[in-house]
Amino acid sequence: MAEFLQALAQGVLIGSTYGLLALGMGLVYGVSGVVNFAHGDFIALGMFMCLALYSALSLDPYVSIIITVPVMMGIGALVYRYLLRPMVGHKFLMVVQLTLGLSLVLQNGILMVFGGQPARTPSVMESKLWILGDVVVRVPHVIAFVVSFAMAIGLYAVLRSTDFGRSIRAVHQNAHAAALMGIDVGRVQVLTFALGLGILAIAAALLLPGTPIQPTMGLRYTVITLLVVVLGGMTNFVGIMLGGLVIGISEAFGTIYLSDILGMLLPYGIFVLIMLFRPQGLSWGAAR
Amino acid sequence: MRAEFYKTLTSPVWWGILALAALLPFVLPSYYLHIVILSLVYVALASAWNIVGGMAGQISLAHSLFIGIGAMISTALLLKLGINMWVGLVISAAISAVLAAMIAWIDYRFQLGHLSFVLITLAFAEMGGLIVEGWDFLGGASGLLLPRDAGHFLDFQFGGSQGAFWVMLFLATLCVLINVAILNAPLGYYLRTIRDNENAARAIGVNVLRYKVAAMVISAVLTSVVGTAYVRYLTFADPYLLVSPVITIEIVLFATVGGLGSAFGPALGSLLLVPLGELLRGQLGGVLPGLHYFIYGIVVIAVILITPQGLLPLFERLRGGLVRKHRVPAAEPQRRP
Amino acid sequence: MLEIEHLVTGYGGVPVLHDVSLTLSAGEIVGLLGANNAGKTTLINSLSGVYAPMSGRILFEGKDVTALTPRERVELGIVQVPEGRLVFPDMSVRENLLLGGINRRARAGRPRQIEHVMELFPRLKERLSQNAGTLSGGEQQMLAIGRALMAEARLLMLDEPSLGLSPLFVQYIFGIIDKLHAEGLTILLVEQNLNLTLRHAERCYVLERGRIAVEGAVDTVKDDPRTRSAYLGL
Repeated sequence: MAEFLQALAQGVLIGSTYGLLALGMGLVYGVSGVVNFAHGDFIALGMFMCLALYSALSLDPYVSIIITVPVMMGIGALVYRYLLRPMVGHKFLMVVQLTLGLSLVLQNGILMVFGGQPARTPSVMESKLWILGDVVVRVPHVIAFVVSFAMAIGLYAVLRSTDFGRSIRAVHQNAHAAALMGIDVGRVQVLTFALGLGILAIAAALLLPGTPIQPTMGLRYTVITLLVVVLGGMTNFVGIMLGGLVIGISEAFGTIYLSDILGMLLPYGIFVLIMLFRPQGLSWGAAR
Repeated sequence: MRAEFYKTLTSPVWWGILALAALLPFVLPSYYLHIVILSLVYVALASAWNIVGGMAGQISLAHSLFIGIGAMISTALLLKLGINMWVGLVISAAISAVLAAMIAWIDYRFQLGHLSFVLITLAFAEMGGLIVEGWDFLGGASGLLLPRDAGHFLDFQFGGSQGAFWVMLFLATLCVLINVAILNAPLGYYLRTIRDNENAARAIGVNVLRYKVAAMVISAVLTSVVGTAYVRYLTFADPYLLVSPVITIEIVLFATVGGLGSAFGPALGSLLLVPLGELLRGQLGGVLPGLHYFIYGIVVIAVILITPQGLLPLFERLRGGLVRKHRVPAAEPQRRP
Repeated sequence: MLEIEHLVTGYGGVPVLHDVSLTLSAGEIVGLLGANNAGKTTLINSLSGVYAPMSGRILFEGKDVTALTPRERVELGIVQVPEGRLVFPDMSVRENLLLGGINRRARAGRPRQIEHVMELFPRLKERLSQNAGTLSGGEQQMLAIGRALMAEARLLMLDEPSLGLSPLFVQYIFGIIDKLHAEGLTILLVEQNLNLTLRHAERCYVLERGRIAVEGAVDTVKDDPRTRSAYLGL
């Protein structure tokens, strides 16, 4: 039982951050139809920026988001404006290939700057533990959980009740009609992409404490994010957070109850099955 | 339509180029020979992938599985069970074919869209990599080491670089020729119909399942065979190289740069990018690891932004009509960006 | 108020509108008639700035707006009620109306404008928090018009407002259009329904295969044989 609760706790805590990662991707997909295969490499970029800030200024990752968030948003705006926007009207698959190319550039750019050795970025919270009965949780995971859900709720509120949020939803539901309202669709798309990368910068800091980082790890995060987004039904807010939990929990149970490798296989297996038998994702027709 | 194929097959130009190329091992220093061999490996892989990815328009990221099956299973069969590698090549090709047919069937049965297909095949590729890493029979994370190549042809040994070169030249030529053949056969026509509009293809009575399975199986078998030959050349069956989605991504990008869906585009992309990358790696790899991938990425982005049909159309314009153009760019309404 | 001079618009280099010239004075209600595919929607979308013209000019209150983006045109008050209504289905009526007035010029006045729209369409008031996708076709048309009014339109362009509505609703919607006209709004009414348009417009243009075939006062257009032939596509 203790083992079960332990796995559940760990899965929920990590899964919430997976959900946050996926919200950024779902938002971008909803507004501009772009599936960003360099998503995970941007997470890696966010993590390595934290590492650089720690090396240069001894900043704790939780503090360095003050710098990484605006920088990542700036990068996002430029990438969308100059790389992705020209692809509007081309086949969807060209965007896949372009972002795959971008993934190579980012991954190896990081490799050239930081080298390939696994690195760690210390944080004051890194080794703190909470013990609740039989369950031991790491404080960084708790922080990640709380912040992820707070961000998700905040994002939801922005989408619901601000003009910017309503513009995003309008572009998602009907870009042509949105343009007729006087919404600058291109600008909304750029801002949404920037927002997506800003969210990634925060998620990167949340995942960082205690995690050894490597330039090549981006692809794995891309895959996890894609799994979550698809499970969540691409653009469904609640569905995506739920998908994050499913992937997080299945990963945690897999690694605790099965061997390491089988545990890592489990999320993919679940993903393939859901993809085949519930292609619309986990959500049951909830509001967008 | 067939005429086109025979024209290529009987063209003295191509055979001349091929004959000259076959002499390369006698003149090239071993370092450059290695680069040429690698380029041919990717010509073969990208051309094989093109049958699914270019002609049928389905970005399969599962091809690392077929390379991996061809490489790891044939090696494991030899090392663990003593099965001759020629037999291993056939067994692994058969396994690849079954897996390919299964993927194509899933795609058809569940009517996966383009994105779902990319994602499912990526998930399969990730799972395949994890299975190889976790299964000692296939060498686990540390890989497998083949015995030294002593040049025994019957043991699937070709005597080092020279032999490997001719094998790869043969395989690369075969893959490109099969591309030309398919493009000029009914299969190629049906695949393009499916690519451009699957529902319309269905509506006019094209047997979508049959052609999807055919394309996937042909592509997978070729890829698997190239995988077996590649691992024989490398001697070391490295799961992180051969069963990683990265190798598929490379293939996809080379094919895209050259020109998807055309017979020679993927070959062109590989012949340009592999030597470029290898030379960069040779010169600067010690100082800047990853530089060649970085450059690949830049080239791909630039090509997609500047000439989305790939480089082949540019070359065709330069050479004027020796290679038939297979793609017609679609007209887009002039919407404000 | 609006002058279109020799406008040519097309897709992929192929013109759909050939040399279209059209004028509208302030306070006028002008009909734009034509069969399916005559280019009516292309013209209205050119006016909204969705398509960039290949040649020609568009002047709004003497100012050249040809190069302006859709957003800039909405800010000037050139507002379209699109064909098929295109309400945002997964948003409430209220959110749809708020989006209508999202442009910089109208944003501040939204609370007041919503009141105005509610007076005009009491039915929408009852459904303010309902999702637009759950409304009937007629209610969606009311919402689409209300949304355009939220933008503080000065030139209101309606694209096929009668499409797919029951006769009763058509009557109601055209009653509203008359009312808006009486309030002084300039209206461009794009319609396929010939008789309906002739009843409500002051002047008409008839588009035939991308060209203006007939123009003039309602009576002139009604009696012109080319009007009928434009419809029959002869």
